[in-house]
Amino acid sequence: MIQLTVNGVEHSLDVEADTPLLWVVRDYLNLKGSKFGCGAGLCGACTMHLNGEPIRTCITPISTVAGQAITTIEGLGDQGSLSSVQQAWVELNVPQCGYCQSGQIMSATALLAKNAKPNDDDIDSAMSGNICRCGTYPRIKAAIHSVASSNATSNDDLFTNIMADQKPSVMEEK
Amino acid sequence: MTSLLNSPTKTSLNTSRRSFLKASALGSGGLMMTIAMPGCATLKNGGLSKIGNTERWDANAWLRIDSDNSIHFVLDRVEMGQNTYTGMATLVAEELEVDPESINVSFAAADSVYRNTVYGLQITGGSTSIVSSWEIVREAGAATRMMLIKAAANTWNISESDCIANKGVVINQAAGHPQNGQKISFGALAAIAATYSVPNDITLKDKADFKLIGKYNKRLDAVKKATGTAGYGIDTELPGMKYAVFSRAPRWDSELKSFDASKIENMPGIEQVFAVNKPSAIGVAIVAKSYWQAKKAQQLLSVEWGDSELTKVDNASIFAQYRKDMSQDSGKNVRSEGDIQAALSNAAQTVTTEYKMPFLAHATLEPQNCTAWATADGLEIWAPTQSPDMAQVAAAKASRYSLNDIKVNTTFIGGGFGRRINQDFVAEAAAIADHVQQPIKLIWSREEDTQRDWYRPSSLHKLTAAVDDSGNITGWNHQMAGSGVFDYFVGDAAPAQYPFMPKFMFGVLESAGKMGEGIIAPADGSIFEGANEIPYDFANINVDYKKSDSGILVGNWRSVGHSHTGFIVETFIEQLAQLPQVKAQKDAYQFRFDLLNKHPRAQAVLKKAAQEANWGTPLPGCTQGISIHKSFGTWVAQIADVEVDANASSDQQLKVKRVVCVVDCGQVVNPDTVVAQMEGGIIFALSAALYGDVTIKDGIAQQTNFHDYQLLRINQAPSIEVHIIESNEPPTGVGEPGVPPLAAAVANAVTAKTGQLFDSLPLKLG
Repeated sequence: MIQLTVNGVEHSLDVEADTPLLWVVRDYLNLKGSKFGCGAGLCGACTMHLNGEPIRTCITPISTVAGQAITTIEGLGDQGSLSSVQQAWVELNVPQCGYCQSGQIMSATALLAKNAKPNDDDIDSAMSGNICRCGTYPRIKAAIHSVASSNATSNDDLFTNIMADQKPSVMEEK
Repeated sequence: MTSLLNSPTKTSLNTSRRSFLKASALGSGGLMMTIAMPGCATLKNGGLSKIGNTERWDANAWLRIDSDNSIHFVLDRVEMGQNTYTGMATLVAEELEVDPESINVSFAAADSVYRNTVYGLQITGGSTSIVSSWEIVREAGAATRMMLIKAAANTWNISESDCIANKGVVINQAAGHPQNGQKISFGALAAIAATYSVPNDITLKDKADFKLIGKYNKRLDAVKKATGTAGYGIDTELPGMKYAVFSRAPRWDSELKSFDASKIENMPGIEQVFAVNKPSAIGVAIVAKSYWQAKKAQQLLSVEWGDSELTKVDNASIFAQYRKDMSQDSGKNVRSEGDIQAALSNAAQTVTTEYKMPFLAHATLEPQNCTAWATADGLEIWAPTQSPDMAQVAAAKASRYSLNDIKVNTTFIGGGFGRRINQDFVAEAAAIADHVQQPIKLIWSREEDTQRDWYRPSSLHKLTAAVDDSGNITGWNHQMAGSGVFDYFVGDAAPAQYPFMPKFMFGVLESAGKMGEGIIAPADGSIFEGANEIPYDFANINVDYKKSDSGILVGNWRSVGHSHTGFIVETFIEQLAQLPQVKAQKDAYQFRFDLLNKHPRAQAVLKKAAQEANWGTPLPGCTQGISIHKSFGTWVAQIADVEVDANASSDQQLKVKRVVCVVDCGQVVNPDTVVAQMEGGIIFALSAALYGDVTIKDGIAQQTNFHDYQLLRINQAPSIEVHIIESNEPPTGVGEPGVPPLAAAVANAVTAKTGQLFDSLPLKLG
């Protein structure tokens, strides 16, 4: 049995040790927001946070993260409200097909948690592991800048905002 | 949307527009409007379906108003990023007088209520243009509004002209009437409205009265996609579902001889390992409790495959074949004006370039996958497919089920770009599910997805221009050879036109479909479209296409034939613009502008691009290249500012700093979607221009994953400025037209810097 904490919930799983974290989260925990794109850590569609750091979960055996804290796209925001990063994604109409966007948002969230005012080079370097086949890069960049400029000026405040966003909800079922 | 074949052409309607709309009552007190909406150039609308002078045309959109005031718009289109849904909802909302956000937009007919309403709807005649689609959706909204108003007027016993619809209610405006100012909701009126027939005279709003069209900029699916809650095909979950992987032959034409599962049968989670020998599904299936268990076992499966015709096929042999076929026979003439032979023999100078265009993979970020559940009652499919009706045919061919017993559900699609017009992944899942009689989800690996794609066909082109003493271009001759994509999907497409035909007729329909190409079905323009339509004013033009089948699987790739003809025409034009006697008179912009004298919309697009990009004043360290191309009815001009760094590593030598893009797509519905599609098209095309090259060796694609089939990353993306030409013309395509001009704009910028002319892709410094 492998212990795992995902989005604050503890799980005990009977799963082979080499199973990638991605498939455990998708198929055993039924959290489908994180995506399979390449199986080789090349596209970033599977990005989750391990103790706040973005990792490629399609090549992360579950045994290597046992007992640790994982955050997925489902763990952002707070009870039906969008995180500030998600909010910016919606306001700027970032997604097209949308398949890569969970991974993009996880990478962007981790970047902004560490660097409240990233410049273009910072964004390029933090986000270049995430492929978007639809080509939404200009909007991803704009959305990250938009969060940076509208949010708190210090890293601490921003981190607080992202991790426990209290903004009003715009989430509606469509 | 990706077109299957040529761009659509408008044909006259044999029946009144009203035949496309049908009203019916729902048991729950709601109103259902059934809409038969022409597609974006599908085979369905080609002559194939006109045999016998009868066309079966199933409705493909449904507008439903329930008694609880909810409004549902259901489409049998798929959403793969192009934002069709928001666009269509906007059209309905404009005339229905509701907020687009109040419309629940959803995918095809998963709910039996739609199936029942649709069944048996039969319409004679038809047309296939975007133009009528844009009208019909609004007409559906307008007709519904009129029926709701009539219901309200009858309720209040006042004139319809004393009622107005606004934000989902009808308001009583009859002066002095006791209920003046009162409102009745659409939901409360729906049951009454459902008893009326569709009105005869439907008047659509004037452009000046639009509240939404051309203004509405939201994306209705953005929240789902920003929260990971949009359900893609790969996210399908069924009770007791197993996971499947499928081992295919390295070359698609090999038979399965034998396999040895002894090493994997006892591995954890492995439930069944079996051979599949069905059309479009030949290989060995592994069904396991989890995907990872199936995937691990697959690596230890040993399979013996039969011979292949492709073992000696590689890039060199393919292009040698194209060259030989083209030299022996120029093939089919697809454009002829004036006398090209005379023009060439009378020319003071001729200029010739041979172009080689590579195979390209679609590389949709969601790998191919399909979920299927076979029971004694039937076969149900959940697939990220661009062609649900062709999926149904593919599933029928690969299973024991007939079309009537197969239901196809569509999902959000993680990128289509034409890949999901071919239904092999559906055929495989259907065959596997039929065998195990359980729900299964088949998932392809990225390597399988890259190596077993239906590639953009490679092709060979020879262009020759005749030039006179003064530098005038007097003749344009374009010969080309390559595989046509039609042959590779007609097998599923032809039977899909005849859902009433029994399965044993599928082979006959496929043959008829192949023979009918260009006669009863639209001509396959997948190699020549965009080349035969060159807009430049030359007295003598000749364009020939010689079909030469490489044997490599090919398919529709975003912008189809335009994906290469845009590059070829616009780099060859650049080569002519660079001739000393031409350059002495005008620059590359003016050269094009003057030759576009018969196309004022093209000239306006080009001129605007030059203005917005400060043509002639590149960004620091850059040179500029210009390009223009029309596809799917839409003109797009692009100017690229490119920095050339010959000292950088080979994949970093060309840095595209900025692309200015001007688009004329007629009346815009959702301006931000047009901008997004241009941005996306440019980046999609830039991946191909800088890196796109699937190479064949021993009949097998050499590329496997994103390390050797590179896609553009954020650090390589240029800044993009999109400008939309204000227009009153009917709307034309936006999903694809951003792609064709880009590679030439970049190439031409490099030519401006180094003088190097490009005759192949991807672009490499010489």
